Amino acid sequence: MNLPYQILGVTEQATDTDIKNAYLQAVKDHPPDRDSQRFRQIQQAFEAIKDEDSRLRHALFDFPDITFDALLDSAFARDGSLQPMPADDFLKLLNTLSIEQTLATLNKTPS
Amino acid sequence: MNDIIIGIDLGTTNSEVAIVENGNVSVISDAGKKILPSFVGVDDNNEILVGETARNQQLIYPERTIKSIKRLMGQNSHVVMAGQHYSPQEISAIILKRLKAIAEAHVGQAISKAVITVPAYFSDAQRQATREAGEIAGLDVVRMINEPTAAALVYGAGQDDAKRMLVYDLGGGTFDVSVVNVQSGVVEVLSSHGDNHLGGDDFDQLIVDHIRDHLRQQPGIEIDEHSKAMARITRAAEQAKRLLSDEPYVQIEEEYLLDHQGAPIHLSLELARSTYEDMIADHINATMDATHIALKGARMTASDIDEIILVGGSTRTPCIRQRLFDEFGFEPHGEVDPDLCVAMGAAMQAAMINGQNIGTVLVDVTPYTYGTSAIGYLDGQPYPYQYVPIIHKNSVLPTRKSEAFMTHQDSQREVKVRIFQGEDPDALNNIEIGEFLIEDLLDVPAGNIITLTLDLDLNGILHVSAREKASGKEKAITINNAISRFETEALSTAKQRIGDLFGENDDAAAEESAAAIAARQLIKKAESWLDNVSAEDKEDMVDLIEAITDGLERGDDAGLREAVERLNDILYYLES
Repeated sequence: MNLPYQILGVTEQATDTDIKNAYLQAVKDHPPDRDSQRFRQIQQAFEAIKDEDSRLRHALFDFPDITFDALLDSAFARDGSLQPMPADDFLKLLNTLSIEQTLATLNKTPS
Repeated sequence: MNDIIIGIDLGTTNSEVAIVENGNVSVISDAGKKILPSFVGVDDNNEILVGETARNQQLIYPERTIKSIKRLMGQNSHVVMAGQHYSPQEISAIILKRLKAIAEAHVGQAISKAVITVPAYFSDAQRQATREAGEIAGLDVVRMINEPTAAALVYGAGQDDAKRMLVYDLGGGTFDVSVVNVQSGVVEVLSSHGDNHLGGDDFDQLIVDHIRDHLRQQPGIEIDEHSKAMARITRAAEQAKRLLSDEPYVQIEEEYLLDHQGAPIHLSLELARSTYEDMIADHINATMDATHIALKGARMTASDIDEIILVGGSTRTPCIRQRLFDEFGFEPHGEVDPDLCVAMGAAMQAAMINGQNIGTVLVDVTPYTYGTSAIGYLDGQPYPYQYVPIIHKNSVLPTRKSEAFMTHQDSQREVKVRIFQGEDPDALNNIEIGEFLIEDLLDVPAGNIITLTLDLDLNGILHVSAREKASGKEKAITINNAISRFETEALSTAKQRIGDLFGENDDAAAEESAAAIAARQLIKKAESWLDNVSAEDKEDMVDLIEAITDGLERGDDAGLREAVERLNDILYYLES
């Protein structure tokens, strides 16, 4: 389940050109002037995966289930002081991601 | 059938109105002319003049004629026309009303909706003022779109091949440059930059200065003191500028310009194109710098651009075309009349909003960065006004971004949020566009989290909200024209007043001056206080209200002033 890819209707193997074309088609179907909510979703999806850098950042750092407020909660403890994430949690987090896999999908860009 | 929506280019020098009918876009002409000069005046019979007629009387009655009002939009200033004060919004509304009437005569039905174009580099305050002008003119401004974007829409429609365009838009008062990608029926603005106070008017002014210097060679002549002579020189300068687009030299001749110690002064001065080009060189360089900033914003260089589109009358200047050719290596486009294509784009966007399929969709960006200030660091030193950008320049519209801040004192019960527009790391060097106070925060130690959300809509207007996370308490504002807040009441008064000028409301108040309207408002306000003041104050106030009412009946504006001032003082004292 990977939201930006779904919104634009492309696979995770799609090239920059595929993604751009899918974006333009989505924009034509949902112009900002008609439905700005929908357009904003499309725009965010495109910006998240439009090129290799964004796709890598998206793969590494995007947590779709965490909202802005939840992020705040995890960053600032109740007493208001700044607390780093416990080392165990951080390792768990890292384990959920496979950098090799991510890089592998990116490298086998179809010609 | 939906209501008709017209497209309006409200320009510094010229304005146009366009419409899409049966899938074709056209600029509507009035008496054979598609261009309405953006001049407003009052004639001998106190009738309002708009366009060509107002422009023609400017030489004879400069004190009764207003030009280039767009340059004052968004400023808390006013102009004086025939002894009456008007806000820039009101003068613009007069032009809009005329355009609306032209369109209504063309389609044979009432029109109440419009898309109005604004320079991409127009600030929040300038956009608000434009919307207010529409409202005063009785037009619901369904969308404001950026002028270079509107032009790109005209050129981009029907293009199948992917193309990267640079839109260079130099009008009478503003300069915009945008980098646009046109592909598969989507016109996508990648970046915009500009200067909202640079245009053909500045070129005219340089020629005027040149003429003034020439006249000063005869001692004792101070042309500035003669408003009619100044109006003639300004007109002569503009004509000379236009001629220099085709001729290498012009002869500026104005006979009997003014009387000096009983002798008539004639003006006769030759101006070479090369001299003129030297004069405007700094301005042209500024536009080229802005062009490079726009290219950089789109992460491109000159060689990535496939086409250049010229918009605005000032792009007829040959040295501008030459400079662009030198930078990009090919001739710029100008097939669509640079004076008309913005209005055409506005009409196309209007049709699109109205549900018609015009085959092209627009995606635009903001040329400004918006943010707030917080306690932080500047150059490594602690600093109370560090700029925290929230929406970045060239973000696609509409956009919404949030940022979290914390209170810095224990039991801090209020936070003042200031919103800025600009790029400087020191917030105070940016333009403050609004501020508001969040009060009654929870009584908690420092570190109370406030999230600030900036929402920039498709019109380029900013909506701001702040929320105290722990309590959920929220405060939201739209950044109004922060410098001159035009209250709803003031807006309807202005609407009434401009309607009167067009003879729409034939009630007794029709001929009233601004002072009289203000006086009536003051009376209303004073009356609402009467039951809550001491007997002594009440007596004073009743006397003053009587004096003002008398003055109003006699139409004696000058006689009103003292009573109005005294009543104002009392109210001020009561309210504080």
